[in-house]
Amino acid sequence: MNVVVCVKQIPDPANPGKLTSETHTIVRDGKLILDDSDAYGVEMALQLVDAAGGGEVTLVSMAPHSETSGLRTALAMGAAKAILVSDDALAGSDALSTAKVLAAAIKRAEPDLVIAATESTDGYTGTTPVQVAEVLGWPSISFAKKVAVADGTVKVDRQTETGYDSVEVSLPALVTVTAGVVEPRYPSFKGIMAAKGKPVEELKVTDLGLEPGQVGAAGARQEVVSVEPAEARKAGEIVVDEGDGYEKIVAFLEQIKVI
Amino acid sequence: MYAWSEEHEMMRSAVRQFVEKEVAPHQEALEHGDMPPYDILRKMFATFGLDTAARESFERRMEREANASTSGGSDSESSHASGSDSGGGRDAAMSLIPTIELCRYCPGMVTALGVSVGLTAAAIASKGTPAQKRRWVPDLLSLKTIGSWAITEPGSGSDAFGSMRSTARRDGDEYLLNGSKTFITNGPFADTIVFICKLDEGASAGGVSSDQERKDRKVLSFVLDRGMPGLEQSPPLRKMGMHSSPTGQLFLTDVRVGRDRLIGETEEVSGGGRDGAKVTFAQERAGVAAMALGIIEQCLELSVAYAKDREQFGQPIGQFQLIQEKLARMEVARLNTQNLVYRYIEMTEAGRPLTLAEASAMKLYTARAASEVAMEAVQLFGGNGYMAEFRVEQLARDAKVLQIYAGTDEIQITHIAKDLLRR
Repeated sequence: MNVVVCVKQIPDPANPGKLTSETHTIVRDGKLILDDSDAYGVEMALQLVDAAGGGEVTLVSMAPHSETSGLRTALAMGAAKAILVSDDALAGSDALSTAKVLAAAIKRAEPDLVIAATESTDGYTGTTPVQVAEVLGWPSISFAKKVAVADGTVKVDRQTETGYDSVEVSLPALVTVTAGVVEPRYPSFKGIMAAKGKPVEELKVTDLGLEPGQVGAAGARQEVVSVEPAEARKAGEIVVDEGDGYEKIVAFLEQIKVI
Repeated sequence: MYAWSEEHEMMRSAVRQFVEKEVAPHQEALEHGDMPPYDILRKMFATFGLDTAARESFERRMEREANASTSGGSDSESSHASGSDSGGGRDAAMSLIPTIELCRYCPGMVTALGVSVGLTAAAIASKGTPAQKRRWVPDLLSLKTIGSWAITEPGSGSDAFGSMRSTARRDGDEYLLNGSKTFITNGPFADTIVFICKLDEGASAGGVSSDQERKDRKVLSFVLDRGMPGLEQSPPLRKMGMHSSPTGQLFLTDVRVGRDRLIGETEEVSGGGRDGAKVTFAQERAGVAAMALGIIEQCLELSVAYAKDREQFGQPIGQFQLIQEKLARMEVARLNTQNLVYRYIEMTEAGRPLTLAEASAMKLYTARAASEVAMEAVQLFGGNGYMAEFRVEQLARDAKVLQIYAGTDEIQITHIAKDLLRR
């Protein structure tokens, strides 16, 4: 069984991020790292391929400046190869144009299953994976907390607010996984050394049969109009207990209508 | 080499994540309780494939040595390179990165690991017979067993060989071993012990052996297993720092061993048995520099963060020049230590091992730098620095021993000076 994992390479969240003044999108000039939320998808894919007794895991990523640092981390975990779409024409892409690019790259790998995180740690739109499935014309299941593949179908326990739904679709399909799905492995030292030699196919937009006008800022249907800093949290109120502390707290809870 | 490569950075990041997840939560038990470090070290080895890599590397080495001996070549060169397999060679950075990262939290764990893999396994791997190597080395290198390297005695420290009183006496085809060893890393828990002693052939003219006779006796190394009759391993000793590295005493009373436990299975070892130990000294000293780097990096990071955060007299203390001076000196020490570690990696990878004097110079500088930086970090943190919660006090206690074990500062100085004056 062949699995594609969509992985995003993002600016290190440990460093303060910056937005461009014109398009209000994240500046991605420096070194990018593997989005932590994608490590779960990579692990899930490796385990599924292992359980199937054959096949391989292919990574698909879209990133500027031919960036491969994050891909190398996922390759070191055990993925076999990667497809990277890197093109200046992609600057300013919105979620839908990103989905079109990823879908075109995924088609080349001809997978049985596509796995993605529920959302990225930098953009947080949470819409790209289902858009990818829609472009591909494949079924999708989001928020998987357990994934199993058997007899041409994928069975998923789908996390809900109150518990989980058991859902099943036929392959090929796309599944987004939560951070609870599996515990990602650390790349072994041997894996790290081997990652350098694993193939990373770098493509331009036109290699995917797309026109530059369909993607990037030119093709984006979404525009970030402005960005405002979050309102500073207001200082809390300290209740001094002078024997009537509980009355004050009850009054406060009634006032905010929680009791 | 002036920076870590992309692979090295990936390794650093992976090991750092492991240390923060698996070591940091147990720091209290490791440093202030009696939790031995071995299970976490084994988990680290299994997680990163270091156990398998060590066994594979051992097999390659044995194959090289077998080829060298059938083609009539000397195996001394391959022995040297394979010391690399357990600590240098092409994998120099691979073994130093976990050292550096572990030292950010628990330098004692590196001491425990280094003595087992770097000293005990290396001592058998460099001078043992092929059968002895197969019997003990793969399990030690993969941490299946824990090793101790027993040289220091209550009366012999820096003058390790001259004042050594532990003995081996021939008894038919066997030997009887006697003596006591102290400050033995992993001593309380070791499965395999390399016991270094002197061959007692009795007094030359029927009388009592003179001091000179005792001094000149051959030095022999034996491999012992936990539980042998006559071998007693003490509980851990209380000490200033490095609490995550159990240290103990060993007492041997008529421990009977066959020749199969005498390393090399011969009494005729080069340099009277002193050379093997000296090669080990050089590797050990280089490892200390990597430990120093981990301690310095962590102290500096904690100090910079504290200097920005801690406010006194209405401003962050980092705004005061006396604090800036401390930070600047820490950064100079970090750069120098890092450069020495890079130099060691590059030289080892180029197949040019450090001389003993070079290793001594590297150890002397970096051990002092780690001690000074950690003590300055305590000073920078003020009262908080004296409290365990802020972590620098532990690193300061741990760093001090870098100036004492693996050869004191004073011994390093004499090695460097002797080498200079010999030129």
